[in-house]
Amino acid sequence: MSQLEPTLDPALELSLEAPPHRIHRRFHVPGWVALLLANPKARLGAAMVLFVVVVAVIAPWISVDDPNAFDILAAKQAPSWNHLFGTTDQGSDIFSQVVVGARQSLLLGFFAAALATSVAAALGITAALVGGLVDDIVNVLINIFLVIPPIPLLIVMSGYTVNHGTTTMIVVLALVLWAFEARILRAQALSLKSRDFVDAARAAGEPTWRIVFSELVPNMISRIAAAFVLVFYIALLVDAGLEFLGLGDVSQTSWGVILYWAQTNSTVLQGEWWPFFFPGAALAFTVLGLVLLLAGIDEFTNPRLRSETQARRGWLRTLFGGSLASRKKAA
Amino acid sequence: MTSAAPLEVRSLTKQFPIGNAVRRAHVHAVDDVSFELRPGRITALVGESGSGKSTVARLLAHLYEPTGGAVLFEGSDVSRVRRRRDVLRYRSQVQIIFQDPFGSLNPVKTVRHHVERPLRIHRVVPSGQVEDRVHELLRTVGLVPPEDIAAKYPHELSGGQRQRVAIARALAVEPKVVLADEPISMLDVSIRIGILNLMQKLKEERGIAFLYVTHDLASARYVADDILVMYAGQIVEHGPVEEVLADPLHPYTRLLVSAVPDPATKTDAQQVELRHGDASAAVDPAEGCRFRARCPLAIEVCSQVTPQLVEARSRHTARCHVTAPAPTD
Amino acid sequence: MTSLAEQLPVQSSRKAGLLELRQLVVEYGSGQRRARAVDGVDLTINQGEVLGLAGESGCGKTTIASAVLQILRPPGRIAGGSILFEGQEILGRKEKELRQYRWRNVSIVLQSAMNALNPVMRVGDQFIDAMRAHEKIDRRHALARAGELLELVGIDRRRASSYPHQLSGGMRQRVVIAMALALEPELIILDEPTTALDVVVQREILQQVEALKRDFGFAVLFITHDLSLLLEFADRIAIMYAGEIVESAPAEAFATNPRHPYTQGLLKSFPPLTGPLPHLTGIPGAPPDLRDPPAGCRFHPRCPHCLPAEHALYLRQTTERPRLRTIEAGHQVACHLVEESAE
Repeated sequence: MSQLEPTLDPALELSLEAPPHRIHRRFHVPGWVALLLANPKARLGAAMVLFVVVVAVIAPWISVDDPNAFDILAAKQAPSWNHLFGTTDQGSDIFSQVVVGARQSLLLGFFAAALATSVAAALGITAALVGGLVDDIVNVLINIFLVIPPIPLLIVMSGYTVNHGTTTMIVVLALVLWAFEARILRAQALSLKSRDFVDAARAAGEPTWRIVFSELVPNMISRIAAAFVLVFYIALLVDAGLEFLGLGDVSQTSWGVILYWAQTNSTVLQGEWWPFFFPGAALAFTVLGLVLLLAGIDEFTNPRLRSETQARRGWLRTLFGGSLASRKKAA
Repeated sequence: MTSAAPLEVRSLTKQFPIGNAVRRAHVHAVDDVSFELRPGRITALVGESGSGKSTVARLLAHLYEPTGGAVLFEGSDVSRVRRRRDVLRYRSQVQIIFQDPFGSLNPVKTVRHHVERPLRIHRVVPSGQVEDRVHELLRTVGLVPPEDIAAKYPHELSGGQRQRVAIARALAVEPKVVLADEPISMLDVSIRIGILNLMQKLKEERGIAFLYVTHDLASARYVADDILVMYAGQIVEHGPVEEVLADPLHPYTRLLVSAVPDPATKTDAQQVELRHGDASAAVDPAEGCRFRARCPLAIEVCSQVTPQLVEARSRHTARCHVTAPAPTD
Repeated sequence: MTSLAEQLPVQSSRKAGLLELRQLVVEYGSGQRRARAVDGVDLTINQGEVLGLAGESGCGKTTIASAVLQILRPPGRIAGGSILFEGQEILGRKEKELRQYRWRNVSIVLQSAMNALNPVMRVGDQFIDAMRAHEKIDRRHALARAGELLELVGIDRRRASSYPHQLSGGMRQRVVIAMALALEPELIILDEPTTALDVVVQREILQQVEALKRDFGFAVLFITHDLSLLLEFADRIAIMYAGEIVESAPAEAFATNPRHPYTQGLLKSFPPLTGPLPHLTGIPGAPPDLRDPPAGCRFHPRCPHCLPAEHALYLRQTTERPRLRTIEAGHQVACHLVEESAE
């Protein structure tokens, strides 16, 4: 403890030493989960997202064989016990469509977020660390991608790509969404770079790539996680938007596509609210969960106290759990 | 122990640009600094904040590139090398310890990681022996039991312990030169002496040449053999530490000595004549002595000609027209 | 002295103890993580005197400053004892009364306060704000007063229109000291006022504070880790360790006759600038965790005089908390060894 840290409240000083309060259960809860669950927003958000993920996983068991099957007899039915969410104009069960659609939407969102965040982190952190020409180039790239309005860009790109398959969509989404986070991560890396331990790593002879991955990234985990969640929900919304406009893969079942068909068939004009409402509600629910999760992450990241305590537990250990660590200690 | 100086600094200069493209100026952070670091000797570099002393340390650690002058390591100029192989070879011989014991350690890595990395990067010992060497290094700096300490994270250690970890890390490559940038100023008073004693022990046992950067004259006296005093980016006095402190030549050194609280000599606060001024680096300085505005001895030539370092007494040099005038033929 | 002094109600008291802390206890946290940053402290500051409070990080000295001004932030809270200002209890007073008390009776210069100046406000305006928060005074008078105060600390009064970043660190610290003087308090608390400054500037500022003290007659609680400073500038010194006062005496007595082993160790941690240069050892170990301090004397794990061989004494050192006892006029020590050798 240094007495020359005027900004550190003595109260904080003491609690820096205490490990986060572990939830003692039979199975070991990793440190980050405990911290996450401690925050009410994060708790609720995580629960909501988890619920959607579970539904997506068990979708094959709770839906009919072919969600897009035509069944004229059952067409245009309002929600009932037989068809929880009603049926479409073609008689497809909307409930099945929504739960199966969850898979596609979540997959798209997840991979788009993963790709965008990886690119943003790699470029942003390297630019901050290396500086000079590399930094200038990356900045120009970021600025270009930020300035171009995303929706028109997406529309144009979707218009040009021949195949609108899932992979294409993921790449398109990532291309549009990486720049925003890249700038933020670059800023954080810049501030970390001025800390002595980065200079110390340089002085020890560490190559640049190791400084990025081994020294900087572990200290930025919470910001990167936040970036991931953010891009995830934006990707969900943007993807649904694209599909609604017919620019997605209309042969797939996903929430946006359900909405597209609902719009094409002018269902609302016919007084049928359910083909719009349920996929829309599913989308809104998921996005809300992610937003709450993000708010929770921000909250517990910010009292710099808590993020540091979590980070110090070692990022791998933090991510993958106390049980590994405790077994190692006992050995 | 050879008398050859492993590290020689010649006319080292570093300028930082400030302002924008329209009104560009330069801060002369380090100006024409020359000295040598000899094995088994601790050289103190003393100055106030902004005087340039930390910049000198970072220049020598190859964290900045100088604007002018040279840093000679075993005869060859290393200040501008860029090839990784050459830089790495330099880093295996010259190491640095930073001021902030917490900031210089990565909060998410264990002590073992910090001490291990230099061993692995520079292949100091074969893989199988790394763990033993880590424990040995921790023992050398007084951190026992090493097995327990190695598994800890920085926040689980006290400030003094963290600084010892930083020293162990620096020692891992078996350097000839260690640059210590204010290593104790952020530590509690009662543990500072322990770190200073450790530095002395390492100097004696391993023949390391230390550069001890500090603003604290008393600690410089305790641990160092030679002292360099910096003001506004320039060296203003240089000599054996006891002599310089007992009988300072440069008016700035005299001012520093009189300003330090010294319980041995002053139990009633003495009024010291002080004139307001700033020790920090000058922006585009003019000719003349940079201390003249505050100097009680200033004469006319002081504002016209920049004084040079002159050896006024044996091995004791000062940069002052009045107390160390250039010899006239 | 000035017109403002005439406006202030007469508060001068001829009582000896200006500020008295009696068995003050300050706690942080709760449950398992509860720690007593200040554990039963008795302290007295007399009018016009400089009391130095020395100790290392975590000893509780800054907490005492916050407690005296009642600016402790949760999870810190006062858990016992009393604070008497001019004989009147401060604890339990309402916020309105406290606002009167703060700045007019007691003011504070915090560590690195020069960085706490609002960067987007001119210096003069910040003075006015501070004064008007505690006093009914109009802008013109407040500005005039600000100018007077700046001159008192050696800054050209025209600098009142400068922004903080246009002043050097030393000047900013002097501005903050001037602000602390604005309402002519009877007690000023200086918490590490010069730690972030160079040694020459430090001496300037402290000489200035001394001059002001002579003119205005206020008392000073000078909190710092630098014992050598206190030996020069303080009248009396108290040493804190792990939330307790372990020694308290006039400054000369510290220089010539320090009795507590911690004080002795601290004094030996300052290498002398002149005279013989002995090999020093400092104090091995580290200050204790206040959530779980050592039983008995809190210094005993680090004390060179705590030896298991000395059975009876060792038992006392490890089980019984030493109390402050007067061993000479004005010189108090909390140490079993000192007690026993006095008997």
